[in-house]
Amino acid sequence: MGGLPERWDLEVEVVCVGSGLGSITAALVAHDRGKKVAVLEKSPKLGGLCGYGGGEVFCPNGPHMKDIGQDDSDEAAEQYFDFLGGGYQDPALAAKLRATYREAIAWTEKEAGVKWEAVKGLDDYYYPDAPGSGTGRYLAVDIFDGATLGEWQQKTWAVSPHFPPAATHKEMYAWGGLANVTKWDYELLGQRIATDQRTFGPGMMGWFVKAAVVDRDIDAHVETPVRELVSDESGRVVGVRAERDGADFFVKAADGVILGIGGYDHNPKMATMYEEMHEWNSATQPYFHGDAIVMGGEIGADIASVPPTNLAMFYGYNIPGEEHDGVPLWRSSWECGCPHAIWVNGRGERFCDESFYKDYQPRIRQLDGRTQSHENRDVYLIIDGNYRERYPLGSFMPGMEIPEELAKKADTPRELAEKLGIPADAFEKTLERFNQFAEKGEDPDFDAGHFPWSNRLAGDPSYPNPNLGVVNKAPFYGVKLSPVGVGINSHGLRTNGDGQVVHVRGHAIPGLYAVGLSACILDLGGSYQSGTSNMRAITWGYIAGRHVAGG
Amino acid sequence: MAEVEYSTTAKLPVETIWDFVKEIDNWAPFVTGYQSHEKENENDSVWLLKGDVGAMTRTLKFRVHITEWAGPERVTFEMEGLNEMMEGGGVFQMLAWEDGADAEAAPAPVRHNWLQRLGLAILRFFFRLFRGRAERADSADAGPGEGMARLTFTLRMDPGGPMGPMINAMIKPAMLVAAEDLGNRIIGHLEQEGGAAASN
Repeated sequence: MGGLPERWDLEVEVVCVGSGLGSITAALVAHDRGKKVAVLEKSPKLGGLCGYGGGEVFCPNGPHMKDIGQDDSDEAAEQYFDFLGGGYQDPALAAKLRATYREAIAWTEKEAGVKWEAVKGLDDYYYPDAPGSGTGRYLAVDIFDGATLGEWQQKTWAVSPHFPPAATHKEMYAWGGLANVTKWDYELLGQRIATDQRTFGPGMMGWFVKAAVVDRDIDAHVETPVRELVSDESGRVVGVRAERDGADFFVKAADGVILGIGGYDHNPKMATMYEEMHEWNSATQPYFHGDAIVMGGEIGADIASVPPTNLAMFYGYNIPGEEHDGVPLWRSSWECGCPHAIWVNGRGERFCDESFYKDYQPRIRQLDGRTQSHENRDVYLIIDGNYRERYPLGSFMPGMEIPEELAKKADTPRELAEKLGIPADAFEKTLERFNQFAEKGEDPDFDAGHFPWSNRLAGDPSYPNPNLGVVNKAPFYGVKLSPVGVGINSHGLRTNGDGQVVHVRGHAIPGLYAVGLSACILDLGGSYQSGTSNMRAITWGYIAGRHVAGG
Repeated sequence: MAEVEYSTTAKLPVETIWDFVKEIDNWAPFVTGYQSHEKENENDSVWLLKGDVGAMTRTLKFRVHITEWAGPERVTFEMEGLNEMMEGGGVFQMLAWEDGADAEAAPAPVRHNWLQRLGLAILRFFFRLFRGRAERADSADAGPGEGMARLTFTLRMDPGGPMGPMINAMIKPAMLVAAEDLGNRIIGHLEQEGGAAASN
């Protein structure tokens, strides 16, 4: 947008903006094809949203599935991707993604040294109902040794507040899942944390960041937000205006700029408008402000979208006093995957399968056209004495008192309803009906516990229905919940099959690429499941990195 | 249980340090993450601190009970978490650090092997990169001599519950810095005051 600067502070061939999976993969590929690359990151740490996430990569019919004795097929994968897309995917982008993801992931293993392994027994969200759905399709990384990052060790995320620190996927499930979290091997985890052994998203990004800034010595700058794209007279993007130590920092990109800076979870205006949900809270680090949309929009980039209804949004809460990077830490609530827990809305009624977020997510946005209200926007997690004897609430282990600011506590359901300000008669009826079903391990109203994915993740395997248990023992607790985003946004820059950003008039903008969540998820379409976001980040990073380096 | 110890030296009489330390209000704001404190009586106080636990910051509420005011040499205290399963305690030890002082005069240090010491030093170094360093005069590393004192601060914390061993590992880097900062800030403040007084 701005004119060419009088001088460049740094001159490279490829500038990768952001340091998540998409951007770092592009940096690795472009570097290995002979390009001089710089990575500019807004936050104090490298890794992006991926460095805070679950670190799962969805890879149907991938080569590691044979390691765990799992069969799959391209046909099944196609069917399942079609199911996820719901008709909202761009056929050309979907085809390119599906044709390339295994090649891209294999490249990260062979050339970048990332150690992947398949997660045995972890099912697709919609398995076994959806056509082509399967199990064992996720990849996760082997444990990463943070010390190998050298000077970058403290400039990357070692743990995420949203995932068990230092535990592997395999261990998490072998130890009984989240419902059995009080009985995990914390001696082992303590030893690993003390020696900075990383898993989940922090572990995954450890491998990628090491490959880039340690093994290849790619030039990387943290706390260097890019504010503006710099174009020449022809409209070609030839660099960026970043900010460093409060001053402009112009970086020339002779071959191209790759935007991999996520979405807009921390831009309230965009989040409200694009995600169709006001008062948006986010579990992500506070560095995602829609910069890709702003900078791309300034030079005519097309903003594309898929429906926000069924991507990834949860109910969650903030424990008073908990922060990360100076802002309140919003946790997504997994408690309702455990038995002895339900959600009720302001009418004191259940409204969803609480154990399966894909079921409740569209209902969060449900608008009552007569009253202009989102009747399920603010809901309450209800747990009882049975729950508190067995499971944690956030960081509050069984036996710990839950602070009044987080949870109302009462001896009877009626008293709890009055404290929460919901209709007591309706709430009592809701509990009575639910308990009749839960005694039998059934839920004819909402079918909670139907999906194996829900059973596995947060359910208690010692129950006939791992996601169901009566709520009938005092004391009763009620926690107010609000919608919480996790950075998987519905809007982003429109891109083509080479990862180039597309102008509103339909042509590619020369010199500009978008990857990861900066690129609209038209390749997937109208739904999402764990691991797809990481998979597409790697894939488009690989594609864009090759293209910017000459194909 | 996580336990850390930090020792520093100062060109100050132990009595001067004691006069400052014996009044909690004097040094409370020097505690890392300090938010507020409320004295209930001479020995008991309730503190609000912000502390780093892994990737997040939590507001921790502690009751601190002084078990021994042994001026001018020692203050011993115990801590109990009011909103976390956490217990702990510590000792401030202030000793004259004259020529000829031997190791026996100093409090027994927490013993670490060379690998642990290296690990702790690295942790401290990196934590510092992001938290900044408490200002201190050159005398921090001085040896024994006339008018010198040695301040040693030992802090132990024992997170309870099943996750205790994991929490231990997460809070230890912050504890190291907290112990170091408190010692340095107290001495730095007194040295500055002493310098100001001398120049008046």
